[in-house]
Amino acid sequence: MNIDYHALLPEFILAGTILLVLVVDVFLPERAKWFAMPIGLIGVVGSLAGVLSLIGAGTRESFGGTYVVDEFALLFKGFFLVTAVVVLALSLRYFREGGFYQGEYYFLLLTSFLGCVMMPSSRDLLLLFLALELVSAPGFLMAAFRKGDVKSNEAGVKFFIIGVLSTAVMLFGMSLIYGVTGGATKLAEIGVALDGVSGEMETLAFAAILFVVVGFAFKVSAVPFQFWAPDTYEGSPVPVAAFLAVASSVAGFAGLLQLMFVAFAGQHEFWVPIFAFLSIATMTVGNLVALQQTQVVRLLAYSGIAQSGYILLTFALVTDDAASNRNAFAAAVTYILIYGVMNLGAFAATVAVSRRHPTLGVADFAGLRETAPVIAVGMAVFMISLAGVPPTGGFWGKLLIFQAAIERGGTLGPALAVVMLVNSVASVFYYLVVPRQMFLRDAADPSRLRVPALVTAVVAVAMVTLVAIFVLPNVFARLAEISTLVGLGA
Amino acid sequence: MIRLPLVLMFSALLFSAGVYGVLARRNAVMVLMAIELMLNAVNVNLVAFSSSLHQMSGQVFALFIIAVAAAEVGIGLAIVILLFRTRESINVDEVNLLKW
Amino acid sequence: MSDYYSSYGVVLAVLTAGALLVAVAFTTARLVAPNAPNREKLTTYECGIDPVGDGWSQSHVRYYVYGFLFVIFDVESVFLFPWARVLESIGYAAVVEMTIFIGILAVGLLYAWRKGVLRWA
Repeated sequence: MNIDYHALLPEFILAGTILLVLVVDVFLPERAKWFAMPIGLIGVVGSLAGVLSLIGAGTRESFGGTYVVDEFALLFKGFFLVTAVVVLALSLRYFREGGFYQGEYYFLLLTSFLGCVMMPSSRDLLLLFLALELVSAPGFLMAAFRKGDVKSNEAGVKFFIIGVLSTAVMLFGMSLIYGVTGGATKLAEIGVALDGVSGEMETLAFAAILFVVVGFAFKVSAVPFQFWAPDTYEGSPVPVAAFLAVASSVAGFAGLLQLMFVAFAGQHEFWVPIFAFLSIATMTVGNLVALQQTQVVRLLAYSGIAQSGYILLTFALVTDDAASNRNAFAAAVTYILIYGVMNLGAFAATVAVSRRHPTLGVADFAGLRETAPVIAVGMAVFMISLAGVPPTGGFWGKLLIFQAAIERGGTLGPALAVVMLVNSVASVFYYLVVPRQMFLRDAADPSRLRVPALVTAVVAVAMVTLVAIFVLPNVFARLAEISTLVGLGA
Repeated sequence: MIRLPLVLMFSALLFSAGVYGVLARRNAVMVLMAIELMLNAVNVNLVAFSSSLHQMSGQVFALFIIAVAAAEVGIGLAIVILLFRTRESINVDEVNLLKW
Repeated sequence: MSDYYSSYGVVLAVLTAGALLVAVAFTTARLVAPNAPNREKLTTYECGIDPVGDGWSQSHVRYYVYGFLFVIFDVESVFLFPWARVLESIGYAAVVEMTIFIGILAVGLLYAWRKGVLRWA
């Protein structure tokens, strides 16, 4: 059993930090509980340094090839750790002023991020399951963290039941795959073994793949498995909603990418139509329902569902052609990362407003150009980017998917591209609702909104990043290029 | 020696019973138990395959599922108790403040 | 082909015989047994003692915390048995790894203790 300790360094640092946060918390007096946040922040930054030290070190395997640190994994690990820094920064003031159990919150949050960091390296069914559980189990508790609030309780219950149900469905599929392949649990081995099955066993393999896909469809809130997401996001504390909408769903996609592009690639003729349906349904329903939302977190939740639809589209582009698959894979990775940045920014701006207007109606953003100019400009950029309009990074993300769809050819590729185009145009209407309030309406209370410096910094950095992605697309296109997954169409 | 297809059929039935329980039961504790049924169906599957293939990894998988299921039930019960304290009821179909 | 169906005939015969047996037994019991309905016969059977309270009774929430702590530590021991089985062949590395595992669990216990969960009063 080989263990590459350097490759596991980020996980070790994060795990150590988690234990430290818990131990420190129980000995801190009540008014100093917030101190858990800087400790967690230092740990996350240390872990990030560990990830950076691994760049260019090649592909490193541990535990008999079940845990692989390659460029794909490093890219996602880096993304998750940066997200962790942002969510920690958003949480500090919110949880200090709200009178929550702070130590426990930071402990749970970091545990979830440990699961996220493990996800892109897991190349084995068991590890994928453990990483997924590690992401979602603390999430159930964090969603219900506003203990006295009935809405938050409801968010927790719904998220818990859906989360556990989806895990059970996914596990049933995994257990069948284990049997059909004759005992393979490593993704690459499954890919080889599944190509050899035929007849009745192949039918069973299809059923197993369907179970796994449905399990993950719940996690990434694809229609018709999306109904929990808006309720959970609205009821959760806003920083937790940011975590769920960005880290948790991206972790789901990181797992799904590996399963579909490596383990089940040979069966694409079976599952491509499923993903085509999921993708079209998800973006259409997400956009249509988002048009009627009047609460910003719910608006972001439905926009997130629609964005999931765009990402799912890339799965429907898989063919026998390895080069075209790599294209689709690169488009998916790039879009996921850009989506993470813009969504995180939008939630940061929402956190800033939530201090004065806890209900977060769309009208609560009125006149933000006067009360908080930086937040207003930032929010406008995030909304434009989510709609996929230049000059923002979201434009390149959508263009890449569009291009990949056209290049795939056949009837399916261009058809999906057209559906996506129509959806993008429709989405502009609701994405512009918030900027209209911010710039064309006046606030009821024209005094300056006091925004924590950390939150302003997050908004500013995310805004600059999105514009920079638009100006320098080549730098970011390279990110996707280097993230070739081991075993992908080799 | 029990034949493999019989065991698989049993686990499929167990899983279906669990799905039915999740969808039809109103009491949150009953929903939790139905989910346990589903997870145990998975365990039966894994152990059956593992013994018929003479290969250990399925049983290791089952051990991990048992441990994770215990943690999940703990979290679930905590949330249910929280719900009971604020609402005096644990019927899941009364949890309907948030819609669309 | 008729052989094939005649083997199903056996199944059918067994099913009919089974159904008849049950029907006859129940009918005989209904005809022969004395019928003396009594409220006490409908109460829940609890080892012969008169049942106390409702079927759904509330217990103190502390039982939950205790029960939960027990379940967590009990289930984690599931990992100890395979570990003990292979301990000899792996050697000291396995001891170190299990120490870390138990150490993490101990931190959980420390947390429970500091939060005052372990006191009954």
